Amino acid sequence: MSAAALLPQTAPFGDDDRLSLDRVLAVASVTQRAWLAGFLAGLDAGQGNAPKTDAPPRAAEPLTILFASESGNAERLAQDVAKLARKNGFKPSIVDFADLDVADLPRQGRIVAIAATWGEGDPPARAVRAYGELMGDAAPRLDGVTFAVLALGDTAYAEFCAVGKALDARFAELGAIRAVERIDCDLDFEAPAAAWIKSTLATLAPAQAPQDNVVAVDFGARGGIEPSREPIPAEIVEHIDLNSSRSDKETIHLALGFDGPAPAYEPGDALELFPENDPALVDAVLASTGLATDDTLREALRTERDVTTLSVKTLDAFVSLTGHAEVRRLVEDGGARAWTEGRQLIDLVQAYPATLTADQLRTLTRPLPPRAYSIASSRREVGDEAHLLVAAVRYESFGRLRSGVASTYVADRVKAGGALRVRLKPNRHFRLPDSATDIIMVGPGTGVAPFRAFVQERRAVGATGRSWLFYGDRRYTHDFLYQLEWQDALKDGSLARIDLAFSRDTPEKTYVQHRLFQQRRDVVDWLEGGARLYVCGDAKAMAKDLRAALVAAYADVKALTPDAAEAAVAGLERDKRYLQDVY
Amino acid sequence: MTKELSRNERIKEASGYLRGTLSEGLTDIVTGAIAEDDQQLVKFHGMYLQDDRDLRPERTKKKLEKAFSFMIRLRIAGGVVTPQQWLQIDRIGRDYANGTLRLTTRQTFQFHGVIKSNLKTTMQAIDAALLDTLAACGDVNRNVLASTNPHQSRAHKEAHALAAAISDHLLPKTPAYREIWLDGEKIAGGEEEVVEPVYGRTYLPRKFKTVVAVPPSNEVDVFAQDLGFIAILDDAGEIEGWNVTVGGGMGMTHGEPDTYPRTADVMGFCAPEDALRVAEAVVTVQRDWGDRTSRKHARLKYTIEDRGLDAFRAEVERRIGKPLGAPRPFRFESNGDRYGWTQGEDGRQHLTLFIENGRIRDIPGGPALMTGLRRIAEVHDGEFRLTANQNVIVANVRPENRTAIEAAVAAHGLTSHAGALRRNAMACVALPTCGLALAESERYLPDLVTALEERLALHGLAEDEITIRMTGCPNGCARPYIAEIGLVGRGPERYNLYLGAAFDGSRLSKLYAEDIGHDAIVAALDPLFAAYALERREGERFGDFVIRAGFVARTANGADFHARTGSQRVTALALEAAQ
Repeated sequence: MSAAALLPQTAPFGDDDRLSLDRVLAVASVTQRAWLAGFLAGLDAGQGNAPKTDAPPRAAEPLTILFASESGNAERLAQDVAKLARKNGFKPSIVDFADLDVADLPRQGRIVAIAATWGEGDPPARAVRAYGELMGDAAPRLDGVTFAVLALGDTAYAEFCAVGKALDARFAELGAIRAVERIDCDLDFEAPAAAWIKSTLATLAPAQAPQDNVVAVDFGARGGIEPSREPIPAEIVEHIDLNSSRSDKETIHLALGFDGPAPAYEPGDALELFPENDPALVDAVLASTGLATDDTLREALRTERDVTTLSVKTLDAFVSLTGHAEVRRLVEDGGARAWTEGRQLIDLVQAYPATLTADQLRTLTRPLPPRAYSIASSRREVGDEAHLLVAAVRYESFGRLRSGVASTYVADRVKAGGALRVRLKPNRHFRLPDSATDIIMVGPGTGVAPFRAFVQERRAVGATGRSWLFYGDRRYTHDFLYQLEWQDALKDGSLARIDLAFSRDTPEKTYVQHRLFQQRRDVVDWLEGGARLYVCGDAKAMAKDLRAALVAAYADVKALTPDAAEAAVAGLERDKRYLQDVY
Repeated sequence: MTKELSRNERIKEASGYLRGTLSEGLTDIVTGAIAEDDQQLVKFHGMYLQDDRDLRPERTKKKLEKAFSFMIRLRIAGGVVTPQQWLQIDRIGRDYANGTLRLTTRQTFQFHGVIKSNLKTTMQAIDAALLDTLAACGDVNRNVLASTNPHQSRAHKEAHALAAAISDHLLPKTPAYREIWLDGEKIAGGEEEVVEPVYGRTYLPRKFKTVVAVPPSNEVDVFAQDLGFIAILDDAGEIEGWNVTVGGGMGMTHGEPDTYPRTADVMGFCAPEDALRVAEAVVTVQRDWGDRTSRKHARLKYTIEDRGLDAFRAEVERRIGKPLGAPRPFRFESNGDRYGWTQGEDGRQHLTLFIENGRIRDIPGGPALMTGLRRIAEVHDGEFRLTANQNVIVANVRPENRTAIEAAVAAHGLTSHAGALRRNAMACVALPTCGLALAESERYLPDLVTALEERLALHGLAEDEITIRMTGCPNGCARPYIAEIGLVGRGPERYNLYLGAAFDGSRLSKLYAEDIGHDAIVAALDPLFAAYALERREGERFGDFVIRAGFVARTANGADFHARTGSQRVTALALEAAQ
């Protein structure tokens, strides 16, 4: 593992200089650093170069940046807001919805809220409690508070930006003053969000800019190089379908190598993978829009545009571009949303062929978003590689075979020796505890990815805390991902225990939540002893059922009422000992 | 001279009456396998650890262990089950095995593909059907066969009763089975004599196979068995007593001429009331005399060869306290099954159904054997009898029930036409599950039969009954060395071809061509079919013909099996042409 960076990215140096300094400082002894500090201070004092510190800085205006994040995007934007706000003379404080006490809100003068919407219009899991309180009858009045909302969402889902919209309305309803109009961002949020943040902070700006010779050193910020926002190339070192050839699933183990060090990921982090579209699908879309001969557009669509997603917004755009009468009727009759369910762009252009220009087709699509996958390796074990676990998504809908863009890009369109582009996406809410703490990991299917990283990491650091994995899939013989590795981990002790649930091996389907409940005595015993519980995988069914199973386990083992058992589990969540990475 | 005991002897000795670490192994969920020594012990409980060999090449690369699963073999003396049991077996096959049932050459069912996590559930479901798997494999007296011949209702009843009595009497008494599979209470091991009065701590030196035959049908292949009882009937069809045969066995090892198949000797005659004691005495003499230093030399057939039949008989007589009578005359006609409807002496009706290679499954686009037999079991109130030729008899049908059963048969294609060679064909399971297989068997024989039937038809022999059997290795589960055409796997797509066995299963065959593939097999047999069609005498069987016509030497008995092998007439040209 490379040495942790010392200087924050906010240090007043260019990137290269900062990295050079880091290389020296990271390995410097305490004595060396102290000498350097004294030497530099003395040198500058001697030459009369000391920064001016006598001008009294004007008291910075407080700004509360509230975020509700699932995948980390909202949190990262909150940090961007804070960074810019500090430059603009604010005294920003970032508050996670997970930690929000709603009663504190009325005391905040200015609030910038950044809210992600998850699944079918739900708030992120960690934000559920505070969001519920804010929406509830007991929410306090917010008279005198000024606010602005940035909503994150995905137009592929019907309830686009629902949480941000609701929050925006609720703040106003409680008496707060909307300083700036809300912005609703799709997956390509970077540019619009950056512009909105800039203009919003300008609108909210304090009267006087700070003295520009004050060097703000954010000692509270985490050390380390912030991950590059630019995609970096990765070479595919290994590309293995881990499922048996008899399986009806296809899960690719992807080992990525880098030209130089791997991104500085920690177990629990994700990599965003920049996919490319299926050329056949691109051809079909081009053929149906009269653009089959435009090779430039073909290439652009293949690598840059989302030619799959179909939303109400797409239909609206289609109508305004083509004036197509039937689609217009669909939109005006309110049937647009229902029609898009289970359909994709190809269905629209094939059902309602229209000759488009290249620009029009571009307008009809959004940029092709990257797809985040939990990293399945620890750098302490695999060195400068990063491993991903990608399940090929294939299904049929409206008589057409559909395939997940990123997952089938990985499964079908890249191979060992090839290259692809990735970007690190940290997830500091899903990190290992200190190495003496026990952990229980629940990760069926590809949900096991971060736990492979956890077990590798704990093996490498010689963790003394016990690790217990609940894993499940369809069939033991054909779908037991990384079976040989778990066998080794049990042998060397980096895994203390494993419990398995294979749903298709028996007439009655058994899932990880059933196994967890079966082992409830030990599970509760571990948790009472301070263990942390990690859950990764399907958000819709598994994560919810698992939580219910855990509540039932507490109720049964500790003879609690349902409410008390619920409170016990809520307590784990509040203490950040019940952590989820679900999708 | 004291040679070291074979490894299995030490495993048995240390196992605590077949317990080993099986219980612990079942709780080790991260592997589908069990400990190496336990793999030997689990056979005594009726199962083999296997893996899908088709998948072996890909497993490690995919970070998966071998595709382990268990084959579970039931113990069903005489192969008789009730319709209710059939339905329960069918359900287990669909819920926990690979969706098929396999009828074996020992009148029982095998489940394939049961994974470890489902083992106990499966065993408990078997127990709930009032069946068990104890001693279906392993160094013990295995499933006891009995003639099913439905014509002779009374004799069959007696034969089945004797088979069941022997099976029960020689069943291991260890409580391990109940403890491990049925969550029975653990019973502390007592004195050796109390736990296993017949077997003792180390059971038998090797597997031990017993049958009860009722002439003229030798469907149970009595000469291929360690111990056999041949019914001697009086003129009224009542059992007078039993001829006792000893020392038959099929297994051998390629390239090791001191291993060989052997047909049993008729040792003597016993009265009905003495049969059980004779069976026990034969078993205990073999227990004490059998060679425990070499697994390849441990079957009763080698004990008989080494000690001589007379000495063996004398020891059996000493143990039962009386002499055996002189063998009585008997006559077998065939070792195959007769298909279709027959009526027994008691007026009950029986339907024998041909099941190719004993594999009961719904064939896509073909007969729905599994569903069809389930439908029959739902309406049938008699019994099912499994034959030693891997077929099934719907037995004891009341005349008024016949229409319903015929409807089920027709609806699911259960009597779709099979040619004469196919009806007399038998294959072991072999690939992909059997760990011993050197070549395909069950999955290949049907194609070979198709090719051979084309040739037979060209020579006008389409309706001639010729027995053909194939095994994937030389151990001989499908008893290939007493088939008129025997094929034994040598390597992938390579077989040894054996010819010259008797149609009634009383004479071994002889190696005719070695290590040949499909085209060479067909090319080797085609001229023999041609000659048989032209030169055979009235009623002469193919196996007899090839000896008389000089194509292959006659095998007198076991040790003679490897002598004078190869083609004895000029067929080399044909072989060369094919290669």
